[in-house]
Amino acid sequence: MSQMAGKLFSWVNSRLPIVNTFERHLSKHPVPSKVNFWYLFGALAAVTLIIQIVSGIWLIMPYSNTEEQAFSSIEYIMRDVDYGWVIRYIHTTGASLFFAVVYLHMFRGLLYGSYQKPKELVWIFGCTIYLAMMAEGFLGYVLPYGQMSYWGAQVIISLFGAIPYIGESLELWVRGDYYISGITVSRFFALHVVALPLVLIALVFLHLVALHEVGAGNPEGVDIEEYLDDDGVPLDSVPFFPYKVLNALVAIGVFMTVFSIIMFFFPEGGGYFIEMANFQEANPLVTPEHIAPVWYYAPFYTMLRAIPDPLGGLIVMAAAVAIFFVVPWLDRSKVASIRYKGIYSKIALTMFGVSFLTLGYLGTVGVTEIRKTMSVVCTIMYFAYFLLMPIYTKYESTMEVPKRL
Amino acid sequence: MNKTPKHFRNYLFIFCVFASVFFVSNSGAAEGGPCKDYGECDKFKYSLNDIESLQRGASTYINYCYGCHSLQYSRWGRVATDLQIPEDIFFENLVFDKSIKPGDLMTGSMPAEESAKWFGVAPPDLTLVSRYKGDDWIFSYLRAYYEDASKQYGVNNLVYPGTAMPNVLMALQGNQRLICKDMPVIAANGGEKRDDLGNPITTEKCGYLEVEEGTGQLSKEEFDSLIYDLTNFLVYVGEPSKAIRERIGWYVVFYFLIFTALSSLLYREFHKDYNH
Repeated sequence: MSQMAGKLFSWVNSRLPIVNTFERHLSKHPVPSKVNFWYLFGALAAVTLIIQIVSGIWLIMPYSNTEEQAFSSIEYIMRDVDYGWVIRYIHTTGASLFFAVVYLHMFRGLLYGSYQKPKELVWIFGCTIYLAMMAEGFLGYVLPYGQMSYWGAQVIISLFGAIPYIGESLELWVRGDYYISGITVSRFFALHVVALPLVLIALVFLHLVALHEVGAGNPEGVDIEEYLDDDGVPLDSVPFFPYKVLNALVAIGVFMTVFSIIMFFFPEGGGYFIEMANFQEANPLVTPEHIAPVWYYAPFYTMLRAIPDPLGGLIVMAAAVAIFFVVPWLDRSKVASIRYKGIYSKIALTMFGVSFLTLGYLGTVGVTEIRKTMSVVCTIMYFAYFLLMPIYTKYESTMEVPKRL
Repeated sequence: MNKTPKHFRNYLFIFCVFASVFFVSNSGAAEGGPCKDYGECDKFKYSLNDIESLQRGASTYINYCYGCHSLQYSRWGRVATDLQIPEDIFFENLVFDKSIKPGDLMTGSMPAEESAKWFGVAPPDLTLVSRYKGDDWIFSYLRAYYEDASKQYGVNNLVYPGTAMPNVLMALQGNQRLICKDMPVIAANGGEKRDDLGNPITTEKCGYLEVEEGTGQLSKEEFDSLIYDLTNFLVYVGEPSKAIRERIGWYVVFYFLIFTALSSLLYREFHKDYNH
């Protein structure tokens, strides 16, 4: 029996590179032997993507993408579908945690210079994934067709209208109707469940292929390829499988514990994961008291609000995301990790972190005079981190990076 | 490599900066709470395992509210099952239209267009009211009606000023009025202010609710408990799987804690291979 299985395996393997791929990308793929917890969020993002795809497939089955039934089909899932509420809460919790994990993953990149040569493409694919995620999240948020879905979509789609000359026709083209309607819902549904997931999967594949080509980084910013053993394997590395897989497994355990605490005990996340107004069906005649985006768009929404002119706001908001793409060329530092960078880099990164969190908080609350001033200040701080980077990274004094991990 | 204390200091610093930012941003931001003139909403703690409370709440809802407010996403049979009411008793006592089957949705009986004419606005469906308004809000709202002759139905509401809904439960609660009281003045040190003779100094404050004695069928406690049950029922109907969700949750969390413990033991064992 086992002989037959062995024969079958070698028959397949000589036609499909199973062993080769396994060795190249897992059992013989060298990764730095010493990394810290910041390096675990990539794996968690992959896990969350899978969770979203699988739970999403099950949600598509009972969901109805028509104006009349979209909202009630969600309640049908929550009540009449056996354990439908589990699937839906997995998807809503997963959406928020996907962003949380990706934000931490991106911050890790800024912290340890994960965009520096030769990882520019890994970084750019990552930024593109983030962009696709923002679109995916927005489209998905419209589907339950609650009040916040409707009015949030109204705000976002009207942004297209701020573009000069083509704005109005573009807005109409995106919406597919003169106002948000069933037509908008069904096209958003198609994009949310087919188009963007395909794009996301393709980008994640490219992100990983590019990463495996140049090798993973470490918090010291040491190039482990410098010191190799007789077989050409870096001395400061361990095989990805089983060592890093087991490390990731612990992280997945902790993550899933947090995940289940949220989805079983706080699925609305205090109104930040599922907004209360979204439990009311979309009503074009009644505007909610205050329209707030879900927390993960909040920093950018604050920037949009901070600028009085709609087109100016749109440009600032788009620039805030776009600027991530050029970070590899803004950083002129000789060292990668924040541990060996100078004091100015440390101050700048702290200011960036604080301004991003503050912008996020401000986006979820109403506007007052002082908050308006703060959002302008934080927007400036946010951009200062990037725009001044070529200067402070070039002229500050850095510390000596050790040779080995 | 062991830089944990220093890292910790960094995180603490960032946390402090953010906390101060938070306080600055909230200065001068006096946002009106959801309970409007009522002030802070009264806190409501649901108890979805108290089946009797849910049964009483369902009975109150169907007798006093369902005439106008449908529960269009909920099914009759599901309510009977979840609330452990035998179907024959349930249908005999709580379902007035004999053509209704257990699988039917609780779509109400009032035509929306007509009712919009009668009340100025069609009474909303309340299946999800506990989710978009919150249980604290419902619990406060239903107890915050007061006599106001200037309104169409002779009543107004502190939580929802100008509400279109009459106080349907007035016969039970009695006639609640807005009154003013003489309240002791509080000194800067937190004590009551007194004059030279030691008598407390008082000032008139308004906005207190008081039920005219003997006008209602229920005492204040009985009425509060009736509203508690009703709100509890609305929490249930807003998310019928809430009780089971919170029950299953413990097992899932427990499972992942075990999973984390075992995987970290395994990781530590393998970690020895390269970290002596």
